[in-house]
Amino acid sequence: MTGVPGGTGVGWRSGVAAVLDDVDGLAFHEVIAESLRPGAVPASLRRRPVVVHGVRLSPGSPEGVDPGRVAHLAACAAATGAALVSEHIAFTRAGGIEAGHLLPLPRTREALDVLVANVTATRAELDVPLALEPIAALFDWPDDEFDEAGFLHRLHDRTGAPLLLDVANVFVNARNRGRDPRADVDALLAGLPPGAVAYCHVAGHAADAAGLLHDTHTDPVPDAVLALLTHTVAQLPVPPPVMLERDGRYPPAAVLRAELDAVAAAAGHAAPCRAGAGAGHGAGPVAAPAADGPGPT
Amino acid sequence: MSDGLARRQAALVAALVAGGTDPAGFDAARLAATRAALLRKRAGLVAAAWPLLAADAGADWQARFGAHFEGVAPYGPEREGWDLARELAAAGRLGAGARRELAAREAALHYDGRTAPRPRNRLSRWWHRSRRERSGPRSGPSDG
Repeated sequence: MTGVPGGTGVGWRSGVAAVLDDVDGLAFHEVIAESLRPGAVPASLRRRPVVVHGVRLSPGSPEGVDPGRVAHLAACAAATGAALVSEHIAFTRAGGIEAGHLLPLPRTREALDVLVANVTATRAELDVPLALEPIAALFDWPDDEFDEAGFLHRLHDRTGAPLLLDVANVFVNARNRGRDPRADVDALLAGLPPGAVAYCHVAGHAADAAGLLHDTHTDPVPDAVLALLTHTVAQLPVPPPVMLERDGRYPPAAVLRAELDAVAAAAGHAAPCRAGAGAGHGAGPVAAPAADGPGPT
Repeated sequence: MSDGLARRQAALVAALVAGGTDPAGFDAARLAATRAALLRKRAGLVAAAWPLLAADAGADWQARFGAHFEGVAPYGPEREGWDLARELAAAGRLGAGARRELAAREAALHYDGRTAPRPRNRLSRWWHRSRRERSGPRSGPSDG
């Protein structure tokens, strides 16, 4: 739905491009807009449908969105033939200082007005839909007027923008606040029309010394997050496209393939790797993928 | 629009990455965890831009980076790594690989310590090239 091909995809990163080229069953790639030059799209990105994913637009900034960044998103979408562009419900800079990552907004009417204005301005320059992703955040603002679900429902009502639902973000946000991740998914989906979820992300996380979970994208996806993905998919009319985010500390190719198959199984998709070129180490398919890796989570 | 939100976002970002005090009402421990995560991510970007500088510090990279940049508003991985490399080189604390990395960067680009490094001008590129050429033959036939 919303143009993203069904099935299991993966975030395209130059560091694992060669491995991903060999996985014939992948449905799509997502590419980070800020890492792409529209005039020089890598050949391996042309093998599959692409979604363009922005990380520095800062649609939560009251100063408005930078027209140059919006134009870059549009150029990336055109250069890759993307069916969709996605960005985050967040801000990344304020007062002339770049924070360096996605920061949460207060869940207030004032922030909603800012988001609606910036999403409208961005969409005016895009030829494809803009999906919005709720982020993982370690803190909340003290003046929230809504809970996360209430805030996202209002945003969807006012913009109609499809949701990029990062199941791993829901998981760490809930756990870090002592809530049940399944209840958070249910509350979110209960107030959205069917088809509002454009696609899903999953990723791994790690706990710090204080026990807080950080959305690292460098750790294996734990079984609990895969189970939450299965729970999420079961609430939706059809299994949404799902994508693994892995941003570094790449595992051996066979482990990455096993993880992709585990994500597909949890989402109710066909296994992307079993259908493709055989795993590098022919023998011994791992019975329980994604369970090994540094540090239990 | 939303002047209040802009001001409050600026105060929050200053507290998280530029040494500002925590805004009232926020959970201080959660802001501290966010501050550490942002600094870790920033160190990772500088390590990607300056791989030998980071490799020189080994397991101490995060700590070395943090000691220098905690509370300093980010100004880009290229310049942050350059400043750190220059300071460590001046103190004689830079390993051979990181010294080579710094020297290659200094030869290719002019960095004034304040603004974005830019390619050295044509005259200085010519001077570097001709110096290499001058030094080449000199190491060969040295008589005459």
